[in-house]
Amino acid sequence: MSDITEPTRTGRDIPPVAVSRTTTEVNPTGSWKYIQPRYEDRVAPCNAGCPVGIDVEGYLYMLGQGRTREAISLLLDENPMPAVTGRVCHHPCEDGCNRANLDEPVSIHGIERRLGDMALAGPAPEPPERTREERVAVIGSGPAGLACAYHLARLGYGVTVFEAAPEAGGMLRLGIPEYRLPRAILDRQIDRIRGLGVEIRCGTKVGTDVSWAELDGFDAVFAAPGAHVGKDARIEEAEGTGTIRPGLAFLKEVNAGARPDLGDHVIVVGGGNTAMDCARSALRLGSKVTVVYRRTPVEMPAIPQEVKEAKAEGVGFLFLAAPSAARIVEGRLRGLECRRMELGAPDESGRRRPVPVEEGRFTMVADTVLTAIGEDCDLAFLPGGVEVVGGVARIDELCESTVARVFVGGDAADLPRSVADALGSGKRAAIGIDHWLRERAGESPPPLDTTALRFGSTGNLSADRLRGTDPIPRTAPVNEVVSWEEMNPAHFARAPRHEDHFHATADLAATFGEVNFGLSEKEMREEAERCLNCGVCNRCELCMIFCPDMAIHRRADGDGFEIDMRYCKGCGLCAAECPRGAMAMSREAR
Amino acid sequence: MKKVMIGNHAVSWGVQRSRVEVISAYPITPQTQIVEELSDMVADGRLASRYIKVESEHSAMAACIGASAAGARAFTATSAQGLALMHELLHWAAGGRLPIVMADVNRAMAPGWTIWTDQNDTLSQRDTGWIQLYCETNQEVFDTTIQAFRLAETVDLPVMLVLDAFFLSHTSEPVDVTDQEVVDRFLPRREARLKLDPEDPHAFGALVRPDAYMEMRWQQQEAMREALRVLPEIEKDWEALTGRTYGAIETYRTDGAELLLVTSGTITSTARHVVDARRDRGEAVGLVKVKMFRPFPTEVLREALTGASRVAVLDRNISPGHGGIFAEEIRSALYDVPPERRPRLFGYVIGLGGRDVTPSVIDAVVDRSLEAAEPEREDLWVGVEL
Repeated sequence: MSDITEPTRTGRDIPPVAVSRTTTEVNPTGSWKYIQPRYEDRVAPCNAGCPVGIDVEGYLYMLGQGRTREAISLLLDENPMPAVTGRVCHHPCEDGCNRANLDEPVSIHGIERRLGDMALAGPAPEPPERTREERVAVIGSGPAGLACAYHLARLGYGVTVFEAAPEAGGMLRLGIPEYRLPRAILDRQIDRIRGLGVEIRCGTKVGTDVSWAELDGFDAVFAAPGAHVGKDARIEEAEGTGTIRPGLAFLKEVNAGARPDLGDHVIVVGGGNTAMDCARSALRLGSKVTVVYRRTPVEMPAIPQEVKEAKAEGVGFLFLAAPSAARIVEGRLRGLECRRMELGAPDESGRRRPVPVEEGRFTMVADTVLTAIGEDCDLAFLPGGVEVVGGVARIDELCESTVARVFVGGDAADLPRSVADALGSGKRAAIGIDHWLRERAGESPPPLDTTALRFGSTGNLSADRLRGTDPIPRTAPVNEVVSWEEMNPAHFARAPRHEDHFHATADLAATFGEVNFGLSEKEMREEAERCLNCGVCNRCELCMIFCPDMAIHRRADGDGFEIDMRYCKGCGLCAAECPRGAMAMSREAR
Repeated sequence: MKKVMIGNHAVSWGVQRSRVEVISAYPITPQTQIVEELSDMVADGRLASRYIKVESEHSAMAACIGASAAGARAFTATSAQGLALMHELLHWAAGGRLPIVMADVNRAMAPGWTIWTDQNDTLSQRDTGWIQLYCETNQEVFDTTIQAFRLAETVDLPVMLVLDAFFLSHTSEPVDVTDQEVVDRFLPRREARLKLDPEDPHAFGALVRPDAYMEMRWQQQEAMREALRVLPEIEKDWEALTGRTYGAIETYRTDGAELLLVTSGTITSTARHVVDARRDRGEAVGLVKVKMFRPFPTEVLREALTGASRVAVLDRNISPGHGGIFAEEIRSALYDVPPERRPRLFGYVIGLGGRDVTPSVIDAVVDRSLEAAEPEREDLWVGVEL
């Protein structure tokens, strides 16, 4: 054959396709780059938004990996009572949830509640070792006092809690109705805290049953007496009727087991959680209930779920109205005169201030009026040197008051007032007391970097960060909250949120039993899978899959990735594709 | 297992039985049902495959190229404008010697906007280096899908499997779906001779200088010749397992024929009826079906057509400025036949844009081809008022 029809060389010399003879490893494409990627775990907004200081994202990550026991353990590191908060917390964690930009926030409270119940169903944790000689007195066994006692016990201290009421729990027991928080759950949660070696002396009011001098035997004191004095609604002619009364007093009575007759028509004044608790409790006593609130539904401070459930149970609502005078006939309350309101300029809380409308007066039928417009603290029992400003004790970031050795927290020092804020306050106090005692003992502990201990530098302090016991390996953590704009939603699929199972009972009068049953375990796991793990690498491997240079490898220890900088040419695909914003690009350090 | 199914689903089932590992496609009428069925199969676990959703046909082919280069068995499907959008990557697949199989449901090119059938979409891709197989029935579609993978992986060339829009894609026929274990005996797992390997990384598709480019094209051409050679062996294996065979071309009642019709696709089935009727009337009319268009089966076609005095090629396509594309290729194949044995060739352009080709239309073609002393011109347009 001639050269014209046959190739000049055979296929043995030339490969069938254009392929390099040598390995491409000889070409260190990494030399091209002027920027380079790095893994950088940041903070999810739920963590920063949690007043308790829970690593929400962390325990959802554990749960998503099927590591349920570790998830519970991580939760309990920060929160002494998840079965309680899962039921009653106003869950600001969910307000910040980035998932809302995709569909709906993760039901964090629903997951926490189920995990909390699972924790209570499991074996009690071993009591921590008593490593410190010091003993701390805690005044008040509400969420702030119990949280402080819990964290101090876990830090190795001896703790005694003084509680004025016959049973422990503070406002959890006195103020929150049973249908929201079954007493069996509360009792078991408090038993768990006792199980850590915390002594709780009930029926012992400091200042009456025990004097301050008797507390001298303790190395430090944490006072968290709560806010038990209902604010006066200033209703004319109300004096002495007995049927216009603070809602909190009514709740305490009912929660102690009393079942007073309130008459046919009950008016609850206020728009917060106490108002909702009063309204729904009154409903269970057989009355028709109307909530009168001076602003609109938008400004209501009550948990939206509570409002929804109250409506479902039959509570009526009247907005933009405020009581002005009681109508008394023959010494008996017959009605409540109200004024119509409209919203004016915003006040110091940022909400628009209600102002009365001229001519707008009307009267509502009422046999009982319960006022729930806020509570004050009785701080008279505190030592003289404790400075009180605006009705609350003046404290520093770690709850230390103006008197040495005395720390104050919870409702007595903190606004806003919520179970979660109280739990967070108790933890801050425990960390402050621990540090103060170590300094006093001459151990010269390094100064506390509270910014570093706070989730996202503005959230609450983390006990795990304090002890350095975070079980999740973080890569180059940066204490900043990741925003939705820094994430890549292209890789997320929509999935509807599981709502709590709520059963409105037809015969409410028959029961103060629970009506919200939370999520099933299956729903809890599905909710955990909805978590986007904002800002935190959850080993999804997309960086590795997208790297055009195959420069990203699983680490030999199996946890996380490493980037082979010899071949990474700095294209930035990995960081752009990272769904969670857990990677960043920076100028190459040459 | 016999199932009644549309032509599109015959492709899907063929792909399922071929244990395709990666499917990437973008929907386009009249192809969409192929990949819809496949996505169901992947979703419900009947097919263990990665289904990659993409934003265009260009990306679909790019994904198939990546998957095939990594050693996976890859499949896609498209039609008309979608195929045109893939054009650049068709060269990458063929030049990269990647045994991708693609189903193209023949749809005429726009404008005017159309969804109906003709062959201009696939014939426009004639020179991209893909093997092209045109099918006549749903059973043939199913069988050819499986054979296509074996052929592609034997010669390292991509295969385009072609079926007519609606006349086949949306028409139900009984299909014998060969059992998986039988297909497994016919089509083993793909063993790529050359593939991307993270442990031994090489650059693919990089610059080739003039002193090597032609050698690569030569090897591609050799592979095409090899495809012609191995197709009968592959068909023989399949026939041994299933009793069914088709051939690069098929001759039908050609003995002693004065006129041979040459068809491809579904027009063939209609032409069979016309040939039967003519034979019953004692007329010497036969049929040659062309299934394989690339590589072009020159030898067997020349042999089949030499001997008849007249050949009528029915082209459901047009190369504007020239004529029907099959007719041109066959004219070229017959050039070497001595003039005294060379048949007179009538090239008909017929059925464009989905226009129905009925038995009476083909009868008119037969009459004209038998009666005329010479074709009036190279391209005889059927059914167009001139």
